[in-house]
Amino acid sequence: MTDQDPDTAHSRKPNPGAPSSAVPVSHVESSPRPVGSRAAFYSLREMHAYMRLAREWDLRFEKMFRTGALSKWYSSVGNEATTVASACAIEAGDSLLTLHRDSGAILRHYLDINALLPGILPQDPAIRKPMGGDSKQRFLRLACQMLGRENGFSSGHERSYHYNLFEEEWGLFHIGMISHLGSMIPVAAGTAFAFQQQGSDRVAINFIGEGATSTGDFHEALNIASVWKLPFILVIENNRWAFSTPTSQQYACDHLADRALGYGIPGVQVDGTDAEAVLSVMQTAVARARAGDGPTLVEAMLGRHRGHSEGDDSLQQVPEQELQQYGEQDPLDLAEKRLIDGGVFSRAWIDEVSERCASLVIDTVDQAMSMPEPDVHQARSIYAD
Amino acid sequence: MQTDTSTESDDTLYVDAISAALADEMRADPDVVLMGQDIAGHGGAFKITRGFLEEFGDQRVRNTPIAESGTIGIAIGSSMLGIKPVVEMQFADFVSCGFNQIVNVAAKMYWRTKHPVPLVIRLPGGGGMGAGAFHSQNIENWFLHTPGLKVVSPAYSGDAYRLLRAAIRDPNPVLYFEHKFLYRRERSPLQTAPIPDRILGESSILRSGTDITTVSWGWMTHRTLEAAEILSQEGIEVEVIDLPVLSPLDHRGIIASVEKTQRAAIIHEATCTGGFGAEIAARICDEAIWSLDAPVRRITYPDSPPPFHKGLEASRIPSPERICSELRQLLEV
Ligand SMILES: Cc1ncc(C[n+]2csc(CCOP(=O)(O)OP(=O)(O)O)c2C)c(N)n1
Ligand SMILES: [Mg+2]
Repeated sequence: MTDQDPDTAHSRKPNPGAPSSAVPVSHVESSPRPVGSRAAFYSLREMHAYMRLAREWDLRFEKMFRTGALSKWYSSVGNEATTVASACAIEAGDSLLTLHRDSGAILRHYLDINALLPGILPQDPAIRKPMGGDSKQRFLRLACQMLGRENGFSSGHERSYHYNLFEEEWGLFHIGMISHLGSMIPVAAGTAFAFQQQGSDRVAINFIGEGATSTGDFHEALNIASVWKLPFILVIENNRWAFSTPTSQQYACDHLADRALGYGIPGVQVDGTDAEAVLSVMQTAVARARAGDGPTLVEAMLGRHRGHSEGDDSLQQVPEQELQQYGEQDPLDLAEKRLIDGGVFSRAWIDEVSERCASLVIDTVDQAMSMPEPDVHQARSIYAD
Repeated sequence: MQTDTSTESDDTLYVDAISAALADEMRADPDVVLMGQDIAGHGGAFKITRGFLEEFGDQRVRNTPIAESGTIGIAIGSSMLGIKPVVEMQFADFVSCGFNQIVNVAAKMYWRTKHPVPLVIRLPGGGGMGAGAFHSQNIENWFLHTPGLKVVSPAYSGDAYRLLRAAIRDPNPVLYFEHKFLYRRERSPLQTAPIPDRILGESSILRSGTDITTVSWGWMTHRTLEAAEILSQEGIEVEVIDLPVLSPLDHRGIIASVEKTQRAAIIHEATCTGGFGAEIAARICDEAIWSLDAPVRRITYPDSPPPFHKGLEASRIPSPERICSELRQLLEV
């Protein structure tokens, strides 16, 4: 190694997959928002409320991790536009399969935000109906789940987002992740298969990081789903990094969305920081799936805002300039700027939404903290009976 | 398509018992769906689903791409929302490509989430036909080591029929090992009623004896019975226990028998080291060591992949002669 050799262990090399300007332009679906449309602003306002709630949720747990109250946390910060907008495109009865950065989708799917924060929206959510049932209880149980409490969805047996929640009476079918990345893509396609088999028009959506698109299950599931025309939408959250691995070391194609061509299905790349753009792409994909025309592969381009998990040093691999760029493309800032520029929100109202979301999260998490821990001697069956 | 088997029937080939169980359960339950490679028009590599496409249609008899992991994963997801999938591995050996879905997704799902995965995977396994290293293996132990799975290993047509129907009704993931050597050789009456709706541990004494207890399953049960017949003529009475279900294991029957005979051997076609014989031997030692007059013996395949040449292969699979000689040695201790 010479002095000039740039390939030293700790040098920060530019990630060829990183945004050159903002986002690679060729396949990007831009925001479809007709300028000045009140209806469109209303949708954005609705998504914004959930995005803010998700952001406050993550900020709270990040803080708890730093104080040692939590053993592990994977942050969803930066993914909110993609996850909230995706969950806005489905309804009760559809299935949702999530990973470790999808709190936005979970909160949007589970909760009626107006029931939790009365008046936060001037009317019921309009893009999609809120999930029926008890939002407050669900939110509390979700916090318990994060904290390993008895009242969580796995009674302390599984960590954070590794759980399922089915409430059949409300059409809530949420399947969480196992750690093995890629493994849940076929399972998600399987829920779509059940819908198809039962002759319903329900659809399944599933998220995957760009890193886990390299797994065999990505290919196997998308291929079968395409051959069988399953009502299945796979959303790649491309935050350009997988732990410490940049996209240049993950795949050699220009755009992951192009892989759709190999399956004979539509593939769309979208600016994943733009909730309205994601919503439009997802609504098209969901309509296609409901009509029986099969899967869509969506690639949402995101920025990496946090380390792989809180407290690791993986963010040091991301070049400073790149990181700064992601910071400038914060999906919440983008949504808030649009709402302010459009004359929908004042800065004061934005602050009020943030404060109300933050205190709801703090109160709920505090309440969960005071709830019982699981009985460590309880037996748990490995078989269903 | 086979005839309706809802009445007690005469001797049925093992392969036909499996077909009949699938067909009868599909007739009884419209949620049952078959998935596998070449199972539709072609009827599968072993023709188990011949005629099914015509009777049940292509929605319920699904040819899949060559994608074991994807197929099993799809079966898992659908089983959680009301479908009862039965997935055919073309050969048991190929299940390794779907291993992660079975051991990490299916096996742990109920424990993790309390959501059942009522899934059956059929695995045509075993050797004796010169099919080589990748079409002859006995791999039940890969799954016996995983909590949350049930594992079935019928030796007889009757058990094959009854246990396949029960496996489809069971709310847990069941791996159903069917032995290819028995497909067109084993023939016995079906037991059509009553069909249980769960797979429970089962051990059955096929021949009672006073001198040695043997434990076996699948093809090896037939060979052990042959050996017991030969030894009986020498005045050695072997108690032959068959395990139609390996997991959950009914070890109580084994322990009771060993306490009586005071000698035990486990015969399996799978390789030796870390095999299920070791587990059974350990259970016997745990619970009946003071009854034993001799060490517990394992009579198994050597630790090698299955060779292609029929003679080479035959030399490795426990034969009735080898079982006899090893059991005789056990009596000499
Ligand atoms: C099969 C498998 N291999 C390795 C890991 C360890 N691991 C956990 S997350 C991760 C990176 C994931 O990157 P990506 O898919 O891009 O998702 P992101 O975290 O960036 O959202 C790795 C390697 C794993 N969980 N599963
Ligand atoms: Mg990533």
